[in-house]
Amino acid sequence: MITVNINGKDIKLEKAVTVLEAARSAGIKIPTLCYHEQLEKYGGCRLCLVEVEKMPRLQTACTLISADGMVIRTETEQLAEVRRGILEFLLINHPLDCPYCDKAGECELQDLVEKYGTAKGRYREKKRTVPESLEDPVIVRNMGRCIACTRCVRMCEGVQGASAIAVINRGGHSHIEPFSGGRYDCEYCGNCVSVCPVGAIMSRLHRHSYRPWQVKENIETVCPYCGVGCTVVLQVRDDVIKRVVPRIGSVVNNGMLCSRGRFGYEFVGSSERLTSPLVKKNGVLEEATWEEAISLVANRLKEARDGYGGAAVAGIASPRCTNEDNFVFQKFMRVALGTNNIDSSARTGYAGAQSFIENISGQGATANIISGLSNSDVVLVTGGDPTTVNPILGLQIRSCAGKGGDILTLGHIRGLRHFNPAELRPALFTETLLLEGILHSLKNTKELPGSNPKFEAKIRELNISPEDIMKTCGVSEEDFNGFLKKLSGAANPAIIIGKELIQSIGSSYKLFLVLAINYLINGRVYLLSERANEQGIIDMGCTPDSLPGCRPVAYAEFRRRYETAWKSTIPEKPGLSIFEMMDSARNGALKAMYIMGENPLVNIPDSHASETALKNLDFLVVQDIFLTETGKLADVVLPALGWAEKEGTYTNMERRIQRLRKAVYRDGMEDWKILSEVAKNMGVKFNYADAEEIFNEIRRVSPLHRDLTYNEIEKGNALYPYKGEPLRGVMEDIESHKGDRPEAGDKLYLGLERPLFHSGTLSTKAPALLQIYPEAVATISQSTAEKFSLKPGDKVRVTTGAGSLELPVAVDDAVHGSLVMITNNFEGKGAFGLIEYIADPVTKAPVIEGIEVHLEKDGTV
Amino acid sequence: MEKVLLKNIENPDSADIGEYRKAGGYGSLLKALELEPKAIIEEVKKAGLRGRGGAGFPVAMKWTFASSDPKFPKYLLCNADEGEPGTFKDRPILEKNPHLLIEGMIISGYTLKAEYGYIYLRGEYPEAKHILDRAIAQAYENGLLGEKIAGKDIRFHLVVHQGAGAYICGEETALIESLEGDRGQPRIKPPFPVNVGAFSLPTIVNNVETLSNLPYIIEIGGEAYSKIGSPDCPGPKLYCVSGHIEKPGVYELPMGTILKDIIYTHCGGIKGGRTLKAVIPGGISTPVLPPDKLDCPMDFVNMPKHGSMLGSGAVIVMDESVCLVKVCYRALKFFEHESCGKCTPCREGTGWLRSILGRIEDGGGVDGDIELLLSVSGNIMGKTFCPLGDGAASVVQNFIKHFRPEFEDHIKNAGCSLKN
Repeated sequence: MITVNINGKDIKLEKAVTVLEAARSAGIKIPTLCYHEQLEKYGGCRLCLVEVEKMPRLQTACTLISADGMVIRTETEQLAEVRRGILEFLLINHPLDCPYCDKAGECELQDLVEKYGTAKGRYREKKRTVPESLEDPVIVRNMGRCIACTRCVRMCEGVQGASAIAVINRGGHSHIEPFSGGRYDCEYCGNCVSVCPVGAIMSRLHRHSYRPWQVKENIETVCPYCGVGCTVVLQVRDDVIKRVVPRIGSVVNNGMLCSRGRFGYEFVGSSERLTSPLVKKNGVLEEATWEEAISLVANRLKEARDGYGGAAVAGIASPRCTNEDNFVFQKFMRVALGTNNIDSSARTGYAGAQSFIENISGQGATANIISGLSNSDVVLVTGGDPTTVNPILGLQIRSCAGKGGDILTLGHIRGLRHFNPAELRPALFTETLLLEGILHSLKNTKELPGSNPKFEAKIRELNISPEDIMKTCGVSEEDFNGFLKKLSGAANPAIIIGKELIQSIGSSYKLFLVLAINYLINGRVYLLSERANEQGIIDMGCTPDSLPGCRPVAYAEFRRRYETAWKSTIPEKPGLSIFEMMDSARNGALKAMYIMGENPLVNIPDSHASETALKNLDFLVVQDIFLTETGKLADVVLPALGWAEKEGTYTNMERRIQRLRKAVYRDGMEDWKILSEVAKNMGVKFNYADAEEIFNEIRRVSPLHRDLTYNEIEKGNALYPYKGEPLRGVMEDIESHKGDRPEAGDKLYLGLERPLFHSGTLSTKAPALLQIYPEAVATISQSTAEKFSLKPGDKVRVTTGAGSLELPVAVDDAVHGSLVMITNNFEGKGAFGLIEYIADPVTKAPVIEGIEVHLEKDGTV
Repeated sequence: MEKVLLKNIENPDSADIGEYRKAGGYGSLLKALELEPKAIIEEVKKAGLRGRGGAGFPVAMKWTFASSDPKFPKYLLCNADEGEPGTFKDRPILEKNPHLLIEGMIISGYTLKAEYGYIYLRGEYPEAKHILDRAIAQAYENGLLGEKIAGKDIRFHLVVHQGAGAYICGEETALIESLEGDRGQPRIKPPFPVNVGAFSLPTIVNNVETLSNLPYIIEIGGEAYSKIGSPDCPGPKLYCVSGHIEKPGVYELPMGTILKDIIYTHCGGIKGGRTLKAVIPGGISTPVLPPDKLDCPMDFVNMPKHGSMLGSGAVIVMDESVCLVKVCYRALKFFEHESCGKCTPCREGTGWLRSILGRIEDGGGVDGDIELLLSVSGNIMGKTFCPLGDGAASVVQNFIKHFRPEFEDHIKNAGCSLKN
C-alpha cells in the first residue's frame, strides 16, 4: 500500500499505478489527449503535465508511476498556463472548421479548448493543410485535423494487431497513413475511428448527416453478425441507425469491434426490405394483406398436417432470430404441427460438432470465456482462420501472442501470420494423419489422466509411426517436435476448432483426435460459430432430437415436462435434419415447410438439390426481412421485424445470454408474433404479450434456464449453465468416421472462402461492406493464376460435379496451390451450388474437401 | 599534452590494425582482460570520466547501474550519430583511429558483461562505415573480437548500424528505437536503457569519444588520468572549431581549456582579423555567447556557471558579417526539420518560431514579435518529451538575451541591414 498526495488529498493505492490513474481513482480530473485506457502509454501530448514536489521538471501524469510519499499538484496557475500553451500549439495548425466537422460536440480537443484555452489566437503564419481523403470506402481521413496523438496507430498495432497504419513523415509534417499509401487496405475494423479524439479519422457512413447531440438515446444491444456476440451501442436519429459504436468495459468485446459489427448495420434501413406479405398467384408473388397471408398459411399447414400427419411438415429455424423467436418456432412446430422436423443451418457443422464434443467431454464443454484466450499460454488453431469468422475472438488470440503466449496452427492462418505462429502445414488431405501423429506422440509423453476411461481406451488403440506420418504429411521433424514441445508443455492451453475441420473428410474422427489432444493437455475447446444465435437455436430446441434446454426428445420423462406445460403431445421420434428434409421433400414425403429467417439455397449444400426439393413441396412459407432466393420459391412470404427492431435475447458461442434491444421503430411483427398469429388461426393459442413473457416461459420449462430473468441477463452474467443444470452421464459410445483419404494429384480442389467482411443475407445488404468486398470471387494462388493465364479480375468458370459458376478471379499467395477458394455469401453465386451433400455419418456435417474443380478462363471454351 | 584520441592520425595508414598495434594498440585490452570487471569500473570511477556526448554523465555511475541489473544478455551501444550542427569531433576517431574505439568497446563489453555491441553510425558518414567495417573485420581476424577474445573464454561481437539521417536518433532511447527497426522517437523514461534498453534488455549507450578514452585509462590508470585537465571533469577533450576562424579543425586539448584560448591561441584567431560577434561553444543547442563572455573553462562543470554549456565541444565562431537573426532562423529551421513529432510543444512550437524568425528576417516583423518569440519559447521550454525542444527554445531565448537590439533593428527597419 502506498500513499500519494494529490492537491492536498491523501490517496491510498493498492499498487503503484500512474499518477493519472491515481488521480482518476480519487475523482481528480487531469486533462489528456494522447492517453487512452485501452492503449499503451505514450506521453506525447503533454497536456497532463503536473507539478511533483522534489522533481525539477513538470511530469506527465500518464507516464509517471506513483511512489510512496509523492506530493502532486494538478491545478495551479503555472499548469493552467502550460495547458493554455499546449492547446495553443495544437490549434495553430488545426483547421478551425468545427461548424463543418462531424466530430464537433464529441471532439476532445474542442472540449479541452473550451475549458482551458484562450479565446484569442496569436498565430499569424500560414496554416499547414492536408486535403481530405475519401480513398477508403468506410473511413474518411482529414489529416489536417490530426494532432499526432497516435492513438489510432497504437490501437491498430497494439490492440487490433493489424499494423495497417503508421505515422509517416516527421515533426510538424507527421500524420497517419497506411503503410501502402492510398487506401488503408486493412481489416476495416474501424477501431482507429473509435479512439481518434478529433475529426481526423471518422466513419464515412454518417458523414455530414449527424451531430452527436442529436442522439437522444444510446441503445446497447448485441451485434447481429457472428457467434461472439459483441456488445454494440446503436446511435439513432429519427428511427435511422446513424452509427454503431463499442463500449469500453463491455464483457465480450471491451471497446473493440470488427468491420461487420461497426459498418454492417445499414441493412436495417435497406430499401430492399420486405414491407408487405406476398402471396404467390399464378406463379407470381403479389402483395397481400396480413389477414389473407396468415389465414392462407394456417389453412395450408393444417391441410398438410391433417392430410399427411406431422411427419409431412418441417421447419427451419434461424440463427439470426432471437431465442424467443426460435423457442416459439419450435413450439409452433411441435404443438401446432405435431412434428419434430425442426432444424437449422447449424447442421452444416456447429450443431453436429457440438453434440459430438459434448458426448465425449460433457455438456457445456464448449462454453468457455472468449476473453480467457488472451491469458492462455498456448492456443492451438485448427479448422481455418478465426480472425475472419469470429474477429473479436481472433483478437484474443493475437493478444495471447502479444503477452508471450505461443500460437500453434494447423495450416497457414492468414490472420495470425504476424504473431509468430508455429505452423504445421500438412500436405493436402493429410491433416488426419498429422493429428494422429501429434496425438500418438503426446500419448507417449503425457500421462493419461484417467477421468474418462472409455475415451482413454479409444486413445490407447492408436498406434502409428510418427516418422512415417511426418514423411507423408511433408512436415519436418524439427517443426513437428518444436510444435509438440510447446503443446505438451502448455499449462493453460486452448484449442480453436473451426469449420474447415468440421467440414472435412473424416471430420468426426478428426474431432475425436483434437478432443483427445485436448484431453491430454487439459485444455479448453472453442468451437467457432458463424451466426449470432447459432448456440441459441440449439439451446431453444430447434433441433430434430432435442427440446429446449438440450433435453433429448426421445426420453419420455423429458417430453412429459413440456407436454404438461404446453398441454399438448410431442412426437416421440426425433425429426428430420435439414438435409433429410430436403431429401424427403424431393421424394415427395414432405409436403409443407416453414422457413424462418434462413436462406437454405445459399447456406446449405447442395443448392440445386435444395431448389428441386423446395419446388417439389405442396406449400412453402418463408418468413424473412429480405426476399431471398429461397423466398422467391415460396407460396407465401411473410416480412418480419429484424435485428434492432425487436426485443429478445441471443446466446453466444461461450453460451452467454445477452439482451437484444429495440432501437428503431418499424411497422410489422416480430417472428414470434407472426408465428403466434398463424397458430391462432390454426386454433392454437400462444398468448405472449412481449418477448419477456416468452423468456419467462423458457425459464419455467427449460431446466437449463431455470429461474433466469431478463433482469439478471442485463447484468451481463447469464453464463452457462445459468442457474440450471446441464445433463450429465449421457456418455454414448464414441463413434467416429475416418473417411477415405483421396490421393492428391495434379488437380484443383474446391475450398470455401470465409471473408472477414461477409456472412450472408445481412452483410450483402450492407452497402458499406459491399464497397469493401463487392462480390463473390474465386481466389487462387499465384501459380494457378500463371498456369491458367489468369490475372485478378478475369472472369473464370468454376465447375464441379454438382454445378458451375462464373466468377471474377482474385489472386492471393496465401492460398494453397491446389485450392480454388470460393466466397460463399452472395446470392446467385453461392459455392453450395458446387457442392453435393455428402456428410460425415456421425456429425452429419457436409464434406467440403476433395471436391475436384475445373477452371476455364472465360471465352476459351 | 600528449595526444591520446588523435594519436598517430597523421599516419596515412592509422586505421590499419597493424599500424595501430605497432603503436601499442590493443595493449590496454590485453591488460584489461587480466583485471576483474569491478576493478575496471573502479579505475573509470577514479579517472572521473564523464560522457562526452553532451550531458557529461559520470560513466562509472551508468556502468554500475547496468552491471547491477541481473538480466542477460546486455548490449553495449556506441552512439556515433554525431548530428549536432557544428560537431565533427568523433569523425577523426571513426575514420582515422577506429581501432581505438573498437578497443574501448571491447574493454567496456568485458567490463559490463555485454557480449554484443553496436556502433550506431550517422548515415551521413558513409566513409566511416567502410573504415569501421574493415577495422572490425581485422579485429575478428586477429582474434580480438568473436567467441574467444585473445584466446580467453570471453566473447564480444560488434556490428555497425547505419542511421538514416535523423538528429533525434542521437538521443539514446530514440537511437535504440531506430536500432530495433522502429521509428526514431524517444521512449518514456523510466525505465532507463541501463535496465530496459535495446530489445528490452540492459543497455549501455556511450559516445564514440567516451569509449575511446577507455584504453588510455587502463594504460595509465584512473589516478593519473584524473590529473589531466579540469579536476571535476578530467581527461583529454576534442574541440571542433568552425566558422570565421583562421585554423578550423578538431583540437585535442585538456578538458577545461579556456574558450578564448581555443579561439585565439590554438586556432589563430578570427579569420582575416575581423571583429568577433558571437560564439556558440558546444553545438547549436548550447547558449550563444557574446565576445565579452569567453573567459570560460570549456568543461561540463564550469560552462553552466558562465551561461552556456559544453555540449559536444563544437565551437562555432561568427564574425561581424553574420546576421544573428538569420542564424537563429536557420537554427530553428534545423530543429523544426529534426523534431520527431512525438510531443506537441516541439512539433508545433519549432515551426512557429521558425516562421516568426523567417518573417522578421525577411522584413515582415511587427511590434510584439520579440515578446511572442519569448512567450512561445517559454511554452516549449521544460514541457517537451526530450531535450530537443528545450534546445530549440534555448537558442531563441539566448539569441534574444544577448543580441536583442539586432532583432529590434530588423523589425524597425523591415529587414536585415547586413543584406546589401
